[in-house]
Amino acid sequence: MTMTESELAAIVGRPIPGGTYTIEPYVDWLLNDVVGSPRDGKVAHPLFAYISVAVGKGVSWDEVFAICGATAADGPMFGEHETVLERPLEVGESFSVSGEFVSAERKRGKRTGVFDIVGFRLALTDAAGELAASTYNSIVFPRRDA
Amino acid sequence: MTIRVGTVIPSWELPAVSAEKMKTMALVLVDPNPIHFDLDAVRALGMGEKPVNQGPNNVAYVMNMLAAWTGGHEHLRGIRVRFQGNVLGGDHVVARGTVSALREEKGRTLADCAVELMVGERVVLAGTATTDVTHLTGTQD
Repeated sequence: MTMTESELAAIVGRPIPGGTYTIEPYVDWLLNDVVGSPRDGKVAHPLFAYISVAVGKGVSWDEVFAICGATAADGPMFGEHETVLERPLEVGESFSVSGEFVSAERKRGKRTGVFDIVGFRLALTDAAGELAASTYNSIVFPRRDA
Repeated sequence: MTIRVGTVIPSWELPAVSAEKMKTMALVLVDPNPIHFDLDAVRALGMGEKPVNQGPNNVAYVMNMLAAWTGGHEHLRGIRVRFQGNVLGGDHVVARGTVSALREEKGRTLADCAVELMVGERVVLAGTATTDVTHLTGTQD
């Protein structure tokens, strides 16, 4: 059953457990091969800002969907993505990942029906305790029974 | 290189998105969604006969375009995009961009760019990106 709008609003401010992520050299090799980018060997591909938080966020996607009152079978979709880099990420670096849900909004479209957009921010902090990058992602949840 | 508002960034393209590399990416992202690697699951969901590329790959193609233009990934400061459509295995993707503003920040010259990823005439991803262009000579507004 679709969560109420007050239940949806209660997601905002909920912390995401977080964890750690290391840009392993072999994963940097694989990622650059996947996306067709020349490998630098020192500077990591900037997509690692996203990969680091996606893998190091401390909860699975299924758990994120459950927090949002949904499952993978509901067909959640990426809405928006933002990466802000304070500096280049380096191959071999380790980061702490932390963040929280920052927005949750119900919308109604004539063509699309009811859907919710839930946003969360996650940050990468380096070994010196300095912010290296931050990301924002939103996920669109169709609410077919709303 | 002279960079102005309106400068068109050289496009970056991939002639055919590899279904096999989506399998590698599923492991890199620890993403269990079968639409990226299991054609039986894709068919069962009524999504056709081709796997769906991971959204982050599509962002990476735009990052690659900016790196090729500026000389490396170390110059990227940020990117914000909206996902507007799926990219499928075998699709020919083209990343394009245009400089929309030039500004100074802490002694550096930053270029704000409108960026998009195309499959044919279809926009599958669009947004903005900011990259440091201080090292590229002749920058002017």
